[in-house]
Amino acid sequence: MVTIVTATEETDRKMENALLIGMTRQMALRREMSIIANNLANVNTTGYKAEQPLFEEYLMPNASEDSPDDTISFVQDYGMHRDLGLGRIEVTENPLDIAITGDGYFKVDTEEGVRYTRNGAFELDAQGRLVTAEGDPVLSAGGTSFTFGIEDGPIEIASDGTISTNQGERGKLSLVNFENQREMQKAGGTLLTTDQAELPVTDATVLQGAIESSNVQPILEMTHMISVMQAYQSANNIVEKSDELQRTAISKLGDPK
Amino acid sequence: MQSLSIAATGMMAQQLNVEVISNNVANMSTAGFKRQRASFEDLMYSDMQRVGSTSSDAGTIVPAGVQVGMGVRTAAVTRITAQGNLDITENDFDLAIQGRGYFRVQLPSGDEAYTRAGNFSTSPTGQLVTSNGYTVQPGITIPSNAVKVAINAQGQVEATLDGQTTPQVVGQLDLAAFQNPAGLSPLGDNLFMESAASGTASTGTPGSEGYGSLLQGYLETSNVNAVSEITSLITAQRAYEMNAKMITATDEMLSVTSNLR
Repeated sequence: MVTIVTATEETDRKMENALLIGMTRQMALRREMSIIANNLANVNTTGYKAEQPLFEEYLMPNASEDSPDDTISFVQDYGMHRDLGLGRIEVTENPLDIAITGDGYFKVDTEEGVRYTRNGAFELDAQGRLVTAEGDPVLSAGGTSFTFGIEDGPIEIASDGTISTNQGERGKLSLVNFENQREMQKAGGTLLTTDQAELPVTDATVLQGAIESSNVQPILEMTHMISVMQAYQSANNIVEKSDELQRTAISKLGDPK
Repeated sequence: MQSLSIAATGMMAQQLNVEVISNNVANMSTAGFKRQRASFEDLMYSDMQRVGSTSSDAGTIVPAGVQVGMGVRTAAVTRITAQGNLDITENDFDLAIQGRGYFRVQLPSGDEAYTRAGNFSTSPTGQLVTSNGYTVQPGITIPSNAVKVAINAQGQVEATLDGQTTPQVVGQLDLAAFQNPAGLSPLGDNLFMESAASGTASTGTPGSEGYGSLLQGYLETSNVNAVSEITSLITAQRAYEMNAKMITATDEMLSVTSNLR
């Protein structure tokens, strides 16, 4: 089937393509900027893991039917990459600060169900339970929370997560790992959620009196920010140029001479 | 653009961080002061593309969706109740608590407050009072003819009276302990009140199980560590600057867009 495309129609369509390609790029860049902003906002958040968007080329089959090999490519962000690297271990000497070295997560019992976190800045609540800053109890390997009384002396946490006081052993912190940690979804409050089955940890140990700070690398984020700005500017130039082309075309063709 | 408000949450969080740090530094030589730490959490995420959604009719699954966070919020400003150093003062009425517990103080309103600042003195009537003149509980009156006052680790107050050789017991101090001392609500003047987060006070003799012991002639200094405060200040300031840069960058991107005809 052959369709007759007049010269003006074709140029028109191509110019619109350029506009649209520029636009997809700009939209993707805006989203990337949001992600960089979120990383920078969380540069001091305990247990936070930096994220990066992943882009891919999205091919439109063909722009016009009389030029079949002329495919056009848009850009699309199809996913995120979470940097699972260990954050700086910051020594705080607070006995209720616990950092995990290696792959693993603490289990927290929230109102919405069990959540996982690497943020080990814990506290005690009015009942003496070990809780997160939000007041959600931290779970032991047996699925219960830890409660400390007035008579309990200093809290000692061994590297395998066993908690003891002068009143004896109080149980073991539940540490779990997952098949695919990147598939875990962030739920805010440095908590993560997933449908995956919990796996026992292999190489994780805990460190009392320290917290794992955010693994955001400010230098990387700042350079990303600059390159996003530059790319946004150049995508904008495409839009501007094709706009100019269209205007010239209109004025030239519209000229009666 | 979202990055504008995300960076704003970052700047606000770092501002609070600097405020907490400056309060710690300001109270570096306040007796019994416990340093505070601002801890932050990431805000909720908006799902642009859900993890695990199918990406084709053949049932392929998106391995990692697009989740854009909304910034940062302050989770808590936690008081770190670690023991401060002990400063020797050689003053009879300076008491330091080694370990857990708080002195009980009666406010003029009749309410009970708690403190770890043991820089006590005596009132005109001989009562043991704080530096603000509030009575230390249980009330202890030092006889006016006492030449020497000794307070032992268990809180027993003994006074040697003029012309006598054997000291006599004039009172017994006790301490209040809490399930969660970090949850006490601060009143200022080194005083704290019981709160829903701290749990109720239980009192006991100093040195008994769960309670610290007393040390006469010493004061507990603040547990602020100058070096760690200054390094936190540097980090907070740089983080603030970076978030401000992000606002400038976003602003530039927006102006690029608005300069399109």
